[in-house]
Amino acid sequence: MINLLEPFKLALQSLLSNKLRSILTTLGVIIGVAAVITLVSMGEGAKSYILNQIGSWGVGANSLTINPGTGDASVPEMTLTYEDTIALRQKVRNLQYLMPEFVGRGRLAYGRKSYNPGFTLGVSADYPFAYKQKAAEGRFFSQAEEVGRKRVVVIGKTISRNLFGEFSPIGENIKINGIGFTVIGVLEEKGTMLTYDMDDMALIPSTLSELVLGTKKIWEMFITVENENQVPQAIEDVKKVLIARHRKEDFHIHTQQGMIDIINNILNALTGIISAIAAISLLVGGIGIMNIMLVAVTERTREIGIRKAIGAKRRDIFLQFVMESIVITMSGALIGILLGTLSAWGIMATLKLSAVIAWGAAGLACLVAFLVGTFFGVYPAMRASRLDPVEALRFEV
Amino acid sequence: MSGNSVVKISEVKKTYFMGKVEVRALQGINLNVERGEFVSIMGPSGCGKSTLMHIVGCLDRPSSGHVLLDEVDVDELNDNALAEIRNKKVGFVFQTFNLLPKLNAMENVELPLIYAGIGLEERRKKAAELLEIVGLKDRMFHKPSELSGGQSQRVAVARSLANDPSILLADEPTGNLDSKSGDEIIHLFTELNQRGITMIIVTHDQEIASHSKRIVRLKDGLVVSDDLVR
Repeated sequence: MINLLEPFKLALQSLLSNKLRSILTTLGVIIGVAAVITLVSMGEGAKSYILNQIGSWGVGANSLTINPGTGDASVPEMTLTYEDTIALRQKVRNLQYLMPEFVGRGRLAYGRKSYNPGFTLGVSADYPFAYKQKAAEGRFFSQAEEVGRKRVVVIGKTISRNLFGEFSPIGENIKINGIGFTVIGVLEEKGTMLTYDMDDMALIPSTLSELVLGTKKIWEMFITVENENQVPQAIEDVKKVLIARHRKEDFHIHTQQGMIDIINNILNALTGIISAIAAISLLVGGIGIMNIMLVAVTERTREIGIRKAIGAKRRDIFLQFVMESIVITMSGALIGILLGTLSAWGIMATLKLSAVIAWGAAGLACLVAFLVGTFFGVYPAMRASRLDPVEALRFEV
Repeated sequence: MSGNSVVKISEVKKTYFMGKVEVRALQGINLNVERGEFVSIMGPSGCGKSTLMHIVGCLDRPSSGHVLLDEVDVDELNDNALAEIRNKKVGFVFQTFNLLPKLNAMENVELPLIYAGIGLEERRKKAAELLEIVGLKDRMFHKPSELSGGQSQRVAVARSLANDPSILLADEPTGNLDSKSGDEIIHLFTELNQRGITMIIVTHDQEIASHSKRIVRLKDGLVVSDDLVR
């Protein structure tokens, strides 16, 4: 059995006795690995942030989103209507919640005060369940109120603050685009998502969209089923119903998995580019290591001669030098992983996000560093192991 | 002839090139060294003493002729087997000590034991014993730069004895030492020889050679005389 412990100790000793040179030699590896780890950690952090956001917006694995148009045009053709929602409610199996969004601009007025919120949306009574956002104060409107076209509105905290200050708006009468409404609820706060203030919106029954917002068309429809295994079947049902009604497929369906796939694709492409850059850095680093190892073999010719004279075999000398090269690259990889992770945490902390430790990338970096060290260490080590002992002993530095 | 022969070389020739110049270092050497002998090899510079030592010590191969070391026919062996012979059967002491400067005395003595595959604990024990024998018990953890020439050479002697070799070869072992340290080394050799260790030393110093039991003189790659001392 080959004993690797002794060559490892030897390698460590000789690298530690030449610290500056060892660090400079491994700098290429450190930089390459640190760059990859930084980006991958940040990417993973960003991904989990986005997934969290999607999750908190209520979009779970058991949901799907229907958008009008084929998805090709930059401005979607608005093809979905309130009637479609009625048909879907009847025909989609295992349907849990269905939430159309009619999007418009509303001007809210209370007494002499007025305010233009970010969005005024026509939604269904399923809203609080589908998006997991309840009324913090008051209540949400019911299905009966929706179907009965009751003029009730639920507002976000930002609107409440702007129109009513510290007072409770519940029961107050306001006007939206000149039409009288009663405020029945204030939504839980959601904060901002990708710079949008999610609390700056007013929700009215979908049936009043045409009257108040002047639109009959649905911007987006959100559906949930009882569990995620039923999603494929729901997609089928939706397609069947809508195609039967529209006579063509003038809509497209997104699922959570689809969104995750897109995010993953982007991140993978990014990681690929960074990995290519890192590969170049490792290659250059590897050549530098080979160069230094060749110098080391020449410098230590006498040492090699002495070792051979007292019984070192070719294999012993070979292992000693290959091990040095591997220890250099591996320690470079470890330092790079440390630096990369720290810098990712630093950058993400300033962005008020958190980085994720990129274990996979770290493992891969170690493996690649090991291979680079081996590959570029073999030639110098072979030269060392083949030195003639008598000549090596005669060598003067 | 006898099962007591440690070194038996016959008709050994060695030719090598220094640049383009052909050097005929050995031109047909015959030498037989028995177990327990203490042989000095003498001769002017360039007579082939060191080359002969390298061949006896399996650091080099002859161009022609045969070498038997401790009954093993060295001609037949590959590089790995030669390394093993150097490790286990031969102890080398050089004029320039040839210690590894970054290792302390103990670690230098341990080196041949590492290559023999001996575990740490046993190595430490053996190295400490040997350093005690050569009188460096209190210098075990000093590096060569912290040792005098005589002390360094004694570390080298301890190292050469690590694997209980059949023969100890010393190439001008006192060449870099002052006369007092040189005397100490020769005294140590005499002592080791009395313990039964076979020795060959190369020297050009008649005084040192007189401590051995037999003097072989070389000239131009040939043995010109082979006499017992006294």
